[in-house]
Amino acid sequence: MRSFGYAEAENAQGLAAALGKGYRIKAGGIDLLDMMKERIDKSERIVSITGMTELRGIKERDGGVAIGALTTLNEIARDETLRKAFPALPDTVCNAATPQVREVATIAGNILQRPRCWFFRQAEYNCLRKSGQACYAVAGDNTYHSIYPMGACHITHPSNIAPALVAVGAQIIASDGKNPKSYDIRDFFLTPEQDLKRENKLPQNEFITEIFLPKMPEKSAYVEVKEKQSFDWPLAACVATYADKKWSIILAHVAPVPLRATLAENVVGEKADIDENLALQAAEAAVKTAQPMAYNGFRVHLAKAVVRRALLKACGKDFHA
Amino acid sequence: MPMSGEFKEKILAPLMSISTGKDLKFVGKSILRKEGIDKVTGRARYVDDVKTPGALYGKTLRSSIACGRIKKISFAPNIPWDQFTIVDARDVPYNRVLQIESDQPVLCDGVVLHREEPILLIAHEDPGLVETAIRSITVEYEREPGIFNIGEGRILKQYDIEEGDWKKEFAAAEVVFEGEYKTGAQEHVYIETNGFIACWEDECLTVHGSMQCPYYVHKALKYAFKLQDDQINVVQMTTGGGFGGKEDFPSVLAIHAALLAKKSGRTVRLIYDRAEDMASSTKRHPSISKVRTACTKDGILRAIDFSFHIDGGAYITLSPVVLSRGIVHAFGPYKWPAAKLHAQCFFTNSPPYGAFRGFGAPQSLFAIEAHMTALANHLGMDPAELRRRNFIHRGDTMPTGQVVDEDPNMEALLDRALELSDYKTKRARWKRGGGKGISLSTFMHGTGFTGSGEVYLASRVGIATTKDGGAEVRVSSTEIGQGTETVFPQIAAEALGIDISKVSFRRPETKVVPNSGPTVASRTCSVVGKLVERAAGKLKQRLAGADIRQHYAQHGEAYEEVEYVPRPGLVWDDDKYKGSAYGAYSWCVNVAEVTVDPVTAMPRVDTLTATVDVGTIINPVLAHGQMEGGIAQGIGWATCENVVLKEGLMENHHLTNYVIPTSADAARIVVEFMPSPYSEGAFGSKGVGELPMDGPGPAIVSALNDAMEAKFTHLPLLPEEMLK
Repeated sequence: MRSFGYAEAENAQGLAAALGKGYRIKAGGIDLLDMMKERIDKSERIVSITGMTELRGIKERDGGVAIGALTTLNEIARDETLRKAFPALPDTVCNAATPQVREVATIAGNILQRPRCWFFRQAEYNCLRKSGQACYAVAGDNTYHSIYPMGACHITHPSNIAPALVAVGAQIIASDGKNPKSYDIRDFFLTPEQDLKRENKLPQNEFITEIFLPKMPEKSAYVEVKEKQSFDWPLAACVATYADKKWSIILAHVAPVPLRATLAENVVGEKADIDENLALQAAEAAVKTAQPMAYNGFRVHLAKAVVRRALLKACGKDFHA
Repeated sequence: MPMSGEFKEKILAPLMSISTGKDLKFVGKSILRKEGIDKVTGRARYVDDVKTPGALYGKTLRSSIACGRIKKISFAPNIPWDQFTIVDARDVPYNRVLQIESDQPVLCDGVVLHREEPILLIAHEDPGLVETAIRSITVEYEREPGIFNIGEGRILKQYDIEEGDWKKEFAAAEVVFEGEYKTGAQEHVYIETNGFIACWEDECLTVHGSMQCPYYVHKALKYAFKLQDDQINVVQMTTGGGFGGKEDFPSVLAIHAALLAKKSGRTVRLIYDRAEDMASSTKRHPSISKVRTACTKDGILRAIDFSFHIDGGAYITLSPVVLSRGIVHAFGPYKWPAAKLHAQCFFTNSPPYGAFRGFGAPQSLFAIEAHMTALANHLGMDPAELRRRNFIHRGDTMPTGQVVDEDPNMEALLDRALELSDYKTKRARWKRGGGKGISLSTFMHGTGFTGSGEVYLASRVGIATTKDGGAEVRVSSTEIGQGTETVFPQIAAEALGIDISKVSFRRPETKVVPNSGPTVASRTCSVVGKLVERAAGKLKQRLAGADIRQHYAQHGEAYEEVEYVPRPGLVWDDDKYKGSAYGAYSWCVNVAEVTVDPVTAMPRVDTLTATVDVGTIINPVLAHGQMEGGIAQGIGWATCENVVLKEGLMENHHLTNYVIPTSADAARIVVEFMPSPYSEGAFGSKGVGELPMDGPGPAIVSALNDAMEAKFTHLPLLPEEMLK
C-alpha cells in the first residue's frame, strides 16, 4: 500500500507554506483520491483545505456575485440568488455526478479536475498527457472524445460549471499566500496545443480562493444531452447567456476546453429575441469547425441540438422539436 | 452469524401478500431480508472485508494478444524477484479448469487463445509492489491471426431439433416471412467484483470468496490440485451480486489464489478491481439468429425455421448449455405444427463467454419476439393480436416434443398487460415516427436445469434442529442478493410449523452443507425450495410433535436430508435432444412504452409493464425485486449496454464508458403477478430469476422502431444508430 503525507491547512499562509513544500490540495477529494487510487496521481503529500471555512459561501458583492472556492456543487444548485439571477449556472450542476458527490465536490475542484479520458485514467496507458508517445483515442474507442481538434491530445474538458462561468466572463481569484492574483476565465484554460500536460494556467504554488461573477446576465439557459440521467457527464452541453446586447454561446464536453462558439455568436449578433430559424443557423455555425473522430460523429449533431435549444430556452421558447 | 436473532422480522402490509389458496403463515408474506440489516449497516463481510494479517496480495499477468504463442518472458532486472511468489503453468498439478469439459488451462502453457488470458500469477505483501512488478515483466509473442466473428471458427456445440413436416408447411404456406436478429455481449456489473482468499493448512485448502456455486469451485479445485473431497473447504462470503457472472468464473480465480497460497505457504488475497474484472471475466454470449416462419394470411403460424448462432469464445466453459437453453426457448409461447431448430456455438478468440441471467434464452427470445412484431407489421396486424391467435395451451406439443401439461394462461396475462398499459388507446394515438412508441413481448422461461440436468445434479438439502428450539437450513444455494437466505427459512418455517424467527440459514461452506446444486437456472426458490419443503416435512415427521428445544436437549441435533426426485413422467432424450425440457415454465407479457427525442434520438423507456405467472409467490417484495432488477438489466441490454469488442476483448471495460442504466434511467416498472401454482415447486412456486431478463429487449426495440418509424433488428440499439 502506498503511503502519503497528510496535513490540514487552517489559513492561507499555512496552505501557501504547504504548497511550497510540494503538497497537493485536497478539497472535496472527488478527483484527487480517484486519481491516487488509480495510481495516475502519485502525490506524496496531501493538504486538506476543508477546514478553511472562509473559502466557502456565496455572497453578493460590488454588483456581482462571489462564490468561495470551497462552495459545493449542491450549495450552488440550491442557491436562490443564483437561481433567480443566473439560472443556467445552478442548472449546470444540479444534475452533475450524483447527489452524494455534489454534497462534497467544490466549485474550484470542478473547474480544476483532470480530464476524464479513460486512456488518461488508466495507469496502463502511458498517453501523451502522462508523458507518453501517443494519444490512444486516435485509434481506439473515441466515442466520448473531442469533436474539435485542438492538438495531439483529444480530451474533452470535464467541468460542468466552467462553461457557465466562461459565458459571463468570471474572474478566478487565486492566491500564493501573499498576493491575490486574478485570472480571466476566458483564457484560463489551456488547449493541448498550448500545453499537453496542463489543462489550465494555475501554477502549483497558487490556490483558488473565489470565483467572481462581475455581472449577472439578462438571459441564460443551459441544455445538456446525457446517456445516463445520473452519474454521468454530458455527451454535449451548451450555455447561452445574453448581456449588454451580446450573446455568449459556450459549448461544453465536446472540446479540450469550454468552447466559445464565436461563429454562432456572430450569427445571432445583438438580437435579444431569437427565433427558431436564427437558432438553427447559429447551431450550424457552431459546429462548422467540428472534426469528429471515428466513433463520435453523432455528437456533432448533438452539439448542434444543444446550441439551438439553449438559445431558444434562453428566450423562453419551447424547443422540443 | 453475529446478527441473527438481533432483529425481528417484520411482516409488511397485507397489500403485498398473494393468496395461495392455503392458510399459510410465512409463505406469501414479505418477510424482511434476513441478511438485510447487516448489509445496510455495513456489518456484512464481503471477501475484501476479511482481515488477513501477513497475507500476500496476488495479481495476474495477462496476455496482450488474442492468439499466438509465448516466445519469451523477461523479468526486468530492477525488481527483487526473489521476494515475490511467482506461479506459472508448471506449478499447476493439473493445468485444467474443470467445468463441463476441461479444455481451459488454469494458466497459459505457451499457447494464447484470447486477450487477457492468465499467464503468470504474482504475489507480495505490498500490493503496490505487485503492481510495479507486473509492469516489469515483458512477454514476447509470436502472433497468429485470430477469429473474431461468429461462424468463422470451429463449432463448439450444435443441436438440431425437428418436429412435424416443416418442409411441407413452408412449401404450402400463404405467407413466408424471414429476418435476421442480432444481440450484443453484456457485462454483469455485479456491485462486488470477483475475489478469493486462499490458505493451506496440513495439505488442506480453504478458500473464501464471492460466488454463486460453492460446489463448482470445489470440483474445479479438486481436479486442478488432485485432491480428495475432504481436503477442500469452499466458503461463500457475503456476495454482492452474481447474475451468472459468478457461476463459472470463480473456479478460475479460486485455483489461482490457491496456487499462490500453495507456493508461498501464506494466505493469499486475489481480488480484482473493476477494470480487470470487466476485461477478463465472462460476458453474455453475442448471438445472430435467422428466423423464417410460415403462416396463413390471417396470421396462424404453421412452421418455424430457426437458426441460432452464438459466440462461445476461446474455451467451452458453459457454452453448450447456454446454447441448449437458447434453442429450447427459441419458439416462444406459441403453437407450431412444424419446426426446424438449428443451434450452433462457435469458438472464437474472445475471452470465454459465460452464464448471464437468462442463459441463452434472452438471445433467442429477442429474435422470435422481434420477429413476431415484424411479422405482424408485415401482415398489417396488431402485434398483440398476432400473438393471441397463436398462444400455446395445455395439451399442445412444443417443438421439443414436450406436451404442455399446465395452463400457460397467456391470453389472461396479455389482456391484463394491455389493460394496465392502456395499450390500445396509446397504439391508436401514437403515430409511427412520432417520437413515442408502445410494443410488447410475450414469452416463457423454463424452471431449473434443462432436460436431464436436474437428474444429473441430484441435489441434496439438509435441515437440522438447533439448541434454541429452531432449525437450520443447510444448502449450497447461495444468497447473492436475490433472497435465498430469506425464502428458504420461510419455506422451512411453513413446512415445520415453527416461527420464522426460529429458522436460520447456514452460510454455505462445502465442509458443512450438502450439495444442493448451483445457484443458477431459476432453480433456487422453486426446485431447491421444494427440497427444503420436503426436508422440513421429514424433520417434522421425525419430531412427531415434540418440542424442538427439549428434543435437542435429550437427543442432540436431529438432521434430515433429502435428494431430488424427478417429477414422474418427465422424460428427456439427450441424444435426440427432445422431450420435456423443463418441469414447468414461467410465463410473462411485457409492454414497453418509449419516448425518443426527435432531434437527438436519445431514448427513454417511460413505462415497462409486466404481467407474470411464476407460480406461488413465496415473498412478494423479493419477487418484485427480481422482476424490477431483471427488467432494468433488460432495459440496459436493449438501449445502452454496448460491449465494444476489439480483438475479442471488451475495450470499454470501465464504468465511465460502459453505460448501464442508473435508477434515474430505469423506467416506471409495473409488475402484476397472476400465479398458477406448480405442484413440484416449493409451495407451488416456479422460477423467477431469469424470466424478467427475457422480455424487455424485444418489446423496447419494437417500441423504438415504432417511435422512429424504423426497422431495427438488433440490440443494443444506440441513439447514434437511430440518428443515421
